[in-house]
Amino acid sequence: MAENREPRGAVEAELDPVEYTLRKRLPHRLPRRPNDIYVNMKTDFKAQLARCQKLLDGGARGQNSCTEIYIHGLGLAINRAINIALQLQAGSFGSLQVAANTSTVELVDELEPETDTREPLTRIRNNSAIHIRVFRVTPK
Amino acid sequence: MSNAKERKHAKKMRNQPTNVTLSSGFVADRGGKHPNGGGKPFQAQKHEPDSGTSRQRQTKMTQHSPPEPDVNEQSSSKVMFKKKGGWKAGPEGTSQEIPKYITASTFAQARAAEISAMLKAVTQKSSNSLVFQTLPRHMRRRAMSHNVKRLPRRLQEIAQKEAEKAVHQKKEHSKNKCHKARRCHINRVLEFNRRQKKNIWLETHIWHAKRFHMIKKWGYCLGERPTVKSHRACYRAMTNRCLLQDLSYYCCLELKGKEEEILKALSPMCSIDTGLTFAAVHCLSGKRQGSLLLYRANKYPREMLGPVTFIWKSERTSGDTSESRQLWIWIHPTLKQDILEEIKAVCQCMEPIKPTVCIQDPVLSPSQEKSQTELPEEKIGKKRKRKDDGEDGKPIKKVIGDGTRDPYQPYSWISPATGIIISDLTMEMNRFRLIGPLAHAILTETLKAASVHTEGEDTEKTPHCWWVETCRNPDSVSLHHRQEAIFELLGGVTSPAEIPAGTVLGLTVGDPRINLPQKRSKILPSPEKCQDNEKVRQLLLEGVPVECTHSFIWNQAICKSVTENKISDQDLNRKRSELLVPGSQLVLGPQESKIPILLIQQPGKVTGDDRRGWGSGWDVLLPRGWGMAFWIPFIYRGARVGGLKEAIVHSQYKRSPHIPGDFPDCPAGILFAEEQAKNLLEKYQRRPPAKRPNYVKLGTLAPFCCPWQQLTRDWESRVQVQGESPVASCPGGEETDLRRGEVLCAPTPEKSHQLSDEVGTSLDDSSEPEGVMDTECPAQAETGWVTGQDAPGSLLCVLRSRQSLKQLSAWCGPSVGDSRAARRAPSRWQQELTREACQAILDCFPRALVWVSLSLLRKGSPKLHTMICVPTKEDFLQLSRDRLYSGPLESKHSDPFKSQIRKQKEKKKIEKRQNRGHAVSKGLAGGDPAAEHQALTLGLWSGPLPAVTSHCSRVLLGFVTQGDFSMAVGCGEALGFVSLTGLLDMLLSQPAAERGLVLLRSPASLQYRFARIAIEV
Repeated sequence: MAENREPRGAVEAELDPVEYTLRKRLPHRLPRRPNDIYVNMKTDFKAQLARCQKLLDGGARGQNSCTEIYIHGLGLAINRAINIALQLQAGSFGSLQVAANTSTVELVDELEPETDTREPLTRIRNNSAIHIRVFRVTPK
Repeated sequence: MSNAKERKHAKKMRNQPTNVTLSSGFVADRGGKHPNGGGKPFQAQKHEPDSGTSRQRQTKMTQHSPPEPDVNEQSSSKVMFKKKGGWKAGPEGTSQEIPKYITASTFAQARAAEISAMLKAVTQKSSNSLVFQTLPRHMRRRAMSHNVKRLPRRLQEIAQKEAEKAVHQKKEHSKNKCHKARRCHINRVLEFNRRQKKNIWLETHIWHAKRFHMIKKWGYCLGERPTVKSHRACYRAMTNRCLLQDLSYYCCLELKGKEEEILKALSPMCSIDTGLTFAAVHCLSGKRQGSLLLYRANKYPREMLGPVTFIWKSERTSGDTSESRQLWIWIHPTLKQDILEEIKAVCQCMEPIKPTVCIQDPVLSPSQEKSQTELPEEKIGKKRKRKDDGEDGKPIKKVIGDGTRDPYQPYSWISPATGIIISDLTMEMNRFRLIGPLAHAILTETLKAASVHTEGEDTEKTPHCWWVETCRNPDSVSLHHRQEAIFELLGGVTSPAEIPAGTVLGLTVGDPRINLPQKRSKILPSPEKCQDNEKVRQLLLEGVPVECTHSFIWNQAICKSVTENKISDQDLNRKRSELLVPGSQLVLGPQESKIPILLIQQPGKVTGDDRRGWGSGWDVLLPRGWGMAFWIPFIYRGARVGGLKEAIVHSQYKRSPHIPGDFPDCPAGILFAEEQAKNLLEKYQRRPPAKRPNYVKLGTLAPFCCPWQQLTRDWESRVQVQGESPVASCPGGEETDLRRGEVLCAPTPEKSHQLSDEVGTSLDDSSEPEGVMDTECPAQAETGWVTGQDAPGSLLCVLRSRQSLKQLSAWCGPSVGDSRAARRAPSRWQQELTREACQAILDCFPRALVWVSLSLLRKGSPKLHTMICVPTKEDFLQLSRDRLYSGPLESKHSDPFKSQIRKQKEKKKIEKRQNRGHAVSKGLAGGDPAAEHQALTLGLWSGPLPAVTSHCSRVLLGFVTQGDFSMAVGCGEALGFVSLTGLLDMLLSQPAAERGLVLLRSPASLQYRFARIAIEV
């Protein structure tokens, strides 16, 4: 976690909570397509599941339905993302398939100085992420 | 019938002279021979229905009556015609006594006098009705008022005169020009200038005025909220799209001078305790924008002046030996006067011997005044601001549109001792704020970096000499290209929150009007732009390099020339219409304006754990005159515009204090609170008593203002008494809670209220007579309070030390149960919550307030001035038993003032009755009860407040200053201040699992609701 790929090892050593405050920045995001779903730990699980289901089912007469959706989970939410994907699959009577990809996301931590003489620093931290593609197959 | 006839006659006869006096001695009775005959009496007594006047008339008549009998013989004849009846009597009289002879000369004279009187009476009309209105109904005609000829010939002349008069009067009232002339551009500009004399308009005013509710505030006309229903739409724009705001009313102060001198001067005004100061390394280099809180010099932590943001101009890399630095301080207009005075004073402090250290620059003011005075006449055909700029050739800026100061005051000061020049750059620049994730897409789409001027082009024609000059220098050109490259990278970043907070980026852009889309559309970030990964990563990590923050907007002369050489919309459109292919891109070449701008990233929500970076965005600084040229392109790319209300919502959801409402310790904040209280009180008094809450019965002492002074003092004395009491300090709090809990169980609500008050009294300082409050005579008891209330105005302070706030923040959260908090707890510098640690903070900041954010556990949306209270043991018990427990109820209070008001009313009634009898005593007695009555309003606590903390069944901790249902979180959220003493006392007495839970109660409700308190640093 604390591995730093920047040549900042020396600075790292002298970090002191009295001198710096840690602020986590938002993860870098790609522009969202309509069929991308980012899972978080705040929203109710059922609500997120329903949202995915709705995207797959489409409107009242089945129009605007997506043939595939992407469920993204980062860090703690990986578990939940997998859970949602599996629930979707289980509830589809075999018409949905999942394909998972994992990746590593670089997160930026900002270190704000508490004293005037210090520069603000940034650290890079890695976190794992999962991208699950849920797609419709014609049942045989 | 005769009655009606008589009335008609009286009406006809009113305003006629009562009598004609003739010096010659002949009889009046010959009046019967008058050509007018009986049908048209020419003189009559005005018959009034009112008894009093008629009586007077009668007395008058009686006075005149004595000569009447000997009228015949008298040389002076007095002719009197009272009524028709009297007139009728006349002829009878004449028939009875016909004179034997008449003298021709006297007779003729008498008739002449009568005729002249008649003529006079006919010509002059004393009633305020028009001629045609006095005509009998059967003689009226359609359109008589319009066409004089429809009147009888004899009246036409008079009517003509009247009509002319009316036309004259109307002319004076109405505009002296026809509609078409008024719509003409020159006249409109004149009219607009007249209308913005008092309250200054922003450049986008007309755009706003068509779409917004405008209010006059802080010397400006500002859009308060859109006229369309858009509360939620604006929230969505902030969260998912882009919200645009015009913040040009913010004031900018420029400090020029040596770096160390400026820093030395300003250092007493800020404290490192509250965060970084002007000297922070990354701000000083010009790389980032800084924000800090200003205090009066050396007065920290008291006498706060207000929050500001500042930018240093970056040092040019080209060996500029940092001889003179430029610092811009951006201030809210309400805070400006205080801060400006203080900064000036700080400069003066360096040379206290000379009284005129901060002199007004002699060169600057006359030119400014000239521009001020010349302004009205010299605008023909051109826009006001541009015209004004064009007129004055000197390279001195002048401010015409600034609402925050007197136009004739100087706006620039120099200190000979330090060489610091302070100038007021208010309204010199436009500041637009884009909030939301689409800000990047909109910016990159709208702004295109200016094309570099190549040598081959003809340099003579272009008016933008500064750009030609710049382009000669290869260094500047390469810098421009670098800036452009970085700016283009922004398009690949999906949220402004990913950029380091306060990043500054300078840029020179082309005219944004040129590539204006045909229709308004919503642009979306393009995924292709997001590919250049390595460079974007560099930008996110490092921010913008120092040299790229350079912008020509810092240079006043260039700004001025840019403003002057703006192509007007008209010219641009004409050129566009002359294009060979309609709708194709307009190419102006070297004629195109190059506008220096500065982009400043605004960090969103930086405090707290959730919704990081919400509401982040970019501020765009533009030179004057270019506001609308950038405004419309932004909107055409899908930005939604918000007003002042949206700014409040933004700051509330960001959980950041709103200026000036949330700074109760700075002068502007105090003023704001007073005004708000006045407005709310007026609004309250406009409703009938039955249709408004009775705040006395609801136990709300101060529904319209927050008595911070009294709150902090009450808490201090409260804690002191606890400490002094024989019970040990920590159990002491519990003891009181227990006692109060018992009290709560008391059966009758009134009794419990009284008891709780007693408990409160016993706890409080004995010198303060709260116990007497509920009795009938509060006025006596509260005399002691009045003196105490006003005196320590400066004592109020808000805890802003980051160290202490961090400490408090850690204490506020529940320490067990939450895994995250548990992880955070064992930090090295974190102290345990003990009485000693609390005392240490209290000693540093006695009677302080703390800024807290509250989120409700269940239902409820807190309102303004909601009370924050300490829950009792009972409440926690209830809550642990039932998770859905919404909260306790406050028992109804009795209204001691109601009977007083009733008594007063009765007294008044009696007095009135008496007054009617003795009209003489009216003047003496009238003043007193009226004044008393004003003090007492039904439903409001009158007179000085009793002990605020212990007035209700739950001890009061503080007040909410902003509160609403938060769409960002999905529950009610509030921001407010609590007493530091009270907060620590509460935290100490609460068990660790339930630490940080408080009760909220709206002023107009008896229901308490649970909320969690949090302090975010």
